[in-house]
Amino acid sequence: MSGAKKRNFQIEAFKHRVVVDPKYAEKTWKILEHAIHEIYNHNASGLSFEELYRNAYNMVLHKFGEKLYSGLVSTMTSHLEEIAKSIEAAQGSMFLEELNQKWTEHNKALQMIRDILMYMDRTFIPSTHKTPVHELGLNLWRDNIIHYNKIQTRLKDTLLELVQHERTGDVINRGLMRNTTKMLMDLGPKVYEENFEKPFLEVSVDFYRVESQQYIEHCDCADYLKKAEKRLNEEIERVSHYLDVKSEAKITSVVEKEMIECHMQRLVHMENSGLISMIVDEKFVDLGRMYSLFLRVPNGLTIIKDVMTSHIRETGKDLVTDPERLKDPVNFVQELLDKRDRLDKIIHLAFNNDKTFQNALNSSFEYFINLNPRSPEFISLFVDDKLRNGLKKDKEEDIETLLDKVMMLFRYLQEKDVFEKYYKQHLAKRLLSQKTASDDAERSLIVKLKTECGYQFTSKLEGMFTDIKTSHDTMQGFNAAVGAEIADGPALSVQVLTTGSWPTQSSSTCNLPPEILGVCDKFRAFYLGTHTGRRLTWQTNMGTAVLSAKFGNAQKELSVSTYQMCILMLFNNVNCLSYKEIEQATEIPSSDLKRCLQSLACVKGKNVLRKEPMSKDIADDDAFFFNDKFTTKLYRVKIGTVVAQKESEPEKQETRQRVEEDRKPQIEAAIVRIMKSRRVLDHNNIVAEVTKQLQSRFLPNPVVIKKRIESLIEREFLERDKTDRKLYRYLA
Amino acid sequence: MGIQKDSVRFNVSGRIFETTATTIANAGRNSLFGAMFDDNWDLQPNATGTTEHFIDRNSDCFAVLLDLLRIGELHVPPNIPEKLLYREALFYGLLDHVRSAKWGPFDGNKLHLSQSITGRAPGDGTAIRAGPDGGCCVAHGSMVHVYDWMLEEHPPITLDYQRVNDVIWADSKSIVISACERLGRGEGGMGLFSASTGELRYKFHVTHENQVKSYTAGALSFSSDYKLFSSCKGRSNEYGIGVWDQVTGKQIDFFYEPPGWSLGDADRLQWLHGTNCLLVATLFPRKDNCYVSLLDFRDKSMVWSWSDIGAPITDERRVRDAIAMEDTNSICVVNEYEDLGFMDLRFAAGSVRWSSRSRLMKGKMPDEPCYPKLALHEGQLFSSMNDSISVFCGPDWVLTSRLRNSYGGSICDFSIGGDRLFSLHSEENVFDIWETQPPPPIM
Repeated sequence: MSGAKKRNFQIEAFKHRVVVDPKYAEKTWKILEHAIHEIYNHNASGLSFEELYRNAYNMVLHKFGEKLYSGLVSTMTSHLEEIAKSIEAAQGSMFLEELNQKWTEHNKALQMIRDILMYMDRTFIPSTHKTPVHELGLNLWRDNIIHYNKIQTRLKDTLLELVQHERTGDVINRGLMRNTTKMLMDLGPKVYEENFEKPFLEVSVDFYRVESQQYIEHCDCADYLKKAEKRLNEEIERVSHYLDVKSEAKITSVVEKEMIECHMQRLVHMENSGLISMIVDEKFVDLGRMYSLFLRVPNGLTIIKDVMTSHIRETGKDLVTDPERLKDPVNFVQELLDKRDRLDKIIHLAFNNDKTFQNALNSSFEYFINLNPRSPEFISLFVDDKLRNGLKKDKEEDIETLLDKVMMLFRYLQEKDVFEKYYKQHLAKRLLSQKTASDDAERSLIVKLKTECGYQFTSKLEGMFTDIKTSHDTMQGFNAAVGAEIADGPALSVQVLTTGSWPTQSSSTCNLPPEILGVCDKFRAFYLGTHTGRRLTWQTNMGTAVLSAKFGNAQKELSVSTYQMCILMLFNNVNCLSYKEIEQATEIPSSDLKRCLQSLACVKGKNVLRKEPMSKDIADDDAFFFNDKFTTKLYRVKIGTVVAQKESEPEKQETRQRVEEDRKPQIEAAIVRIMKSRRVLDHNNIVAEVTKQLQSRFLPNPVVIKKRIESLIEREFLERDKTDRKLYRYLA
Repeated sequence: MGIQKDSVRFNVSGRIFETTATTIANAGRNSLFGAMFDDNWDLQPNATGTTEHFIDRNSDCFAVLLDLLRIGELHVPPNIPEKLLYREALFYGLLDHVRSAKWGPFDGNKLHLSQSITGRAPGDGTAIRAGPDGGCCVAHGSMVHVYDWMLEEHPPITLDYQRVNDVIWADSKSIVISACERLGRGEGGMGLFSASTGELRYKFHVTHENQVKSYTAGALSFSSDYKLFSSCKGRSNEYGIGVWDQVTGKQIDFFYEPPGWSLGDADRLQWLHGTNCLLVATLFPRKDNCYVSLLDFRDKSMVWSWSDIGAPITDERRVRDAIAMEDTNSICVVNEYEDLGFMDLRFAAGSVRWSSRSRLMKGKMPDEPCYPKLALHEGQLFSSMNDSISVFCGPDWVLTSRLRNSYGGSICDFSIGGDRLFSLHSEENVFDIWETQPPPPIM
């Protein structure tokens, strides 16, 4: 019945509210103090919450808030001093457990005390600017337990020791660690930082400095990176298990600095296992690990990128300047493509498709491809090869992707106009000899070039396609109109080419045999009849013919060029002709003639002519006989012309010259365009602007630009400024 | 909560209440009930063996508060004094519940007059300012009376008994007042006071060339980055706008009044958050002309200004109050007849575009008129005129509501804050509290 007794006492106090019992405050406080003791002694079950709350309320109401508050502080402090002693007395590993145990108990007690003193917390404390009860309890714990000198260092050492144990492979009680760090966090971020985080980071720096030094001495690059990654993940895991989340960035930066940043130069350049060997051996996983680790430190990726760039440049330079490789253009380009594919794969798989790495790759290719002036020609030859034969084994889509890759190489070229020159020649050959494997593939490449370089670049190429198409229609018209008349004569197929669209070749006509000439004249009459105001010139150097021939009793068909046809037709009437006679009769240019004769007489298996004396080369006084003993299993014999696929040195010079010649009007046009809009400009600026305007096609030589300017001055498009000779003026 | 069965019995001073644990849970952990039913407190069955909790408090109030927990609405029978209910709510830790059940989020078109308070101060009121959490303070002559949200009066504030020019809430616990200087004594100026105890916490000083000067502080304003602005008149013509750091209390800047302009006598200061500028308005009849300007303190420039100097003087065009409306980049002004006028802040030399509202007031002015005042709150524009306050809404500022309480005469000042509107009457010493009713719990 103690409850009833207490109530009586309370009611009495309430009655005497006006004249407060002088001992009232002391009595009430004693009750509350007793309750606090009981709470700390786990003996709270006998307490009446309502009564205690009311007592605390009354104390505040009767202006004894100050007494209540200071009493709370001193009672709690004395309890905490007791607790500190018991924690201090805990032996060895029991220390942390005891600390945690007491912390849990203190929190519970604090909550209950706060419940009792809720009214004080809400009214008295804000108006007197005192610390709220809960915060007060934490502060007292911090000052009396954590900062108690016999506990403080022991706590720090114990925690660091446990981390060290875990780093060396032992299993520790992570739950205990988590509770302890959480306690420090609850006491405020500052308490956590000073009592744990700061020393923890210092110890970590030393640990990883020593460890990384050991690793770097004994491991190769890949191994080292594996270990570094493992350590990094361990630390991240540690934070997630029992440290504050804010520590993650701090501890990872320690590992990054000590294990990666301090050693990154050495790692990248490590003999036989560094970056270059990884690239060469295509170790995607190792490269990826290096990328993701180096990404974490400043300048890490720059080092990888720089070393990779110089590696690509060097190997690329070796590739394009290797005289062995120059012999086979198709293989040369294939090597470039393969190299690019390999590096692309590395960037894709290991370097996260990093844009800066792709840029580095592109700039390196641009650098070394242009080291070889023949690159444009070779790329065009490669395309030629693929478009002639490509479809045999590659599927449609493969051709598409291949063309895309070639376009990639094309983009690297500085002299795009040189490529255009060659491409035009090769395309002309393909179209005229009807060797194109796929019209679609041809057109798709044209479209790609167009999107890359604009309409101007491909208009002539497209013109060539149109010519072939119209020629086809014209021939149909011709055959319909005069087909009956010439049915007995040789069949004629004419391709009418627009001058200018096609690569101009010195048109060295030859004397056609009379049978052919007749048909040709008929076509000329037909064509000029339908199209007025045009001129037709025969390009005999580009035609082909199919001849019927009898060798002994064997009937054969010979597929030859127009020149070869002219030569062979001579043998219809005679059996033997000297070189001179042939030259006179046909008027074929001697270099071509020699080449034709070589292919007719000197190629084994296709020697429809016999030469006296028997030798490889053709001399002016050689004699040629019809070889009626010629035999072959085939019915149709294709006699090729001995043509170098690759250009010979003089031809190359010629193409070069033609390219230079073509550049002149382009440069002039650019100069005039610029001057028209700017009116007055100095020399250096003109050169800069011209280079900028033309760089999508080629890199103009400043000397050439200067010459063009001079020529324009001569022709009075420009003039030099009278006062400042460096300035040019546009003359409208 | 550690209650086995859902029903709970209370014995409140002899009256038995039975309710459910769910209802009690509405009180929250931070209340007497929340603590009482926490697992930590092992509730003992009392002598009779029933789980009945004795509480030694007023049972009528307990009934009201229990209903508040049950239905979320506050219904106070007329026989219970409101103050007693507040006391009881404070005991249980339910004051916040009562507060939010009393009035809801502010809406100028749904206001109802909740209460009128008669003060005991003599003389006309100067200003009334709503506090952030529902309280207010009223300046009369040299005194400032402070009321909390329960409208209980706290100790009054005074700064050397000098005439108070303006008063502003720094936060829910402190108030800054500006007062005239006291000739020859170097007193007056500006002070920061505790709202609950009325004690002076800090006094702001004005220094010029490292010398502390005596000065008269006028209109006040705070900026979002804890700066305090005040119009200042010093003894030796140090007129202008002073700036103090709210945290350190130190003067950090001073914008001197340019010749031919008025800053030190300003009636109204307003900080514009969007543009980082301070609106300064000096109005008739404090000066013969009106001056409205925007100051940029970063480069000490006056970025916008307007004055009626040189304009033909007719009373109809006299600007009596001005307020900047950042959402529409304009300044709203009002004349003696409550006509609203607008100026565009985007054009440097604007003129007032008066809205063509009918002049209802013209010709029937009361004997003792008050000048109109303006206020802006969440897109609603308020304008006081005589004994009523008009509410304007929408892009064209259409009149949507009018608040009027005929007792007390003309309204000399009003203020909005803490989801309440306070209006101060000039003839009788009385102020009104307007509230929006809380939304019903079931909708």
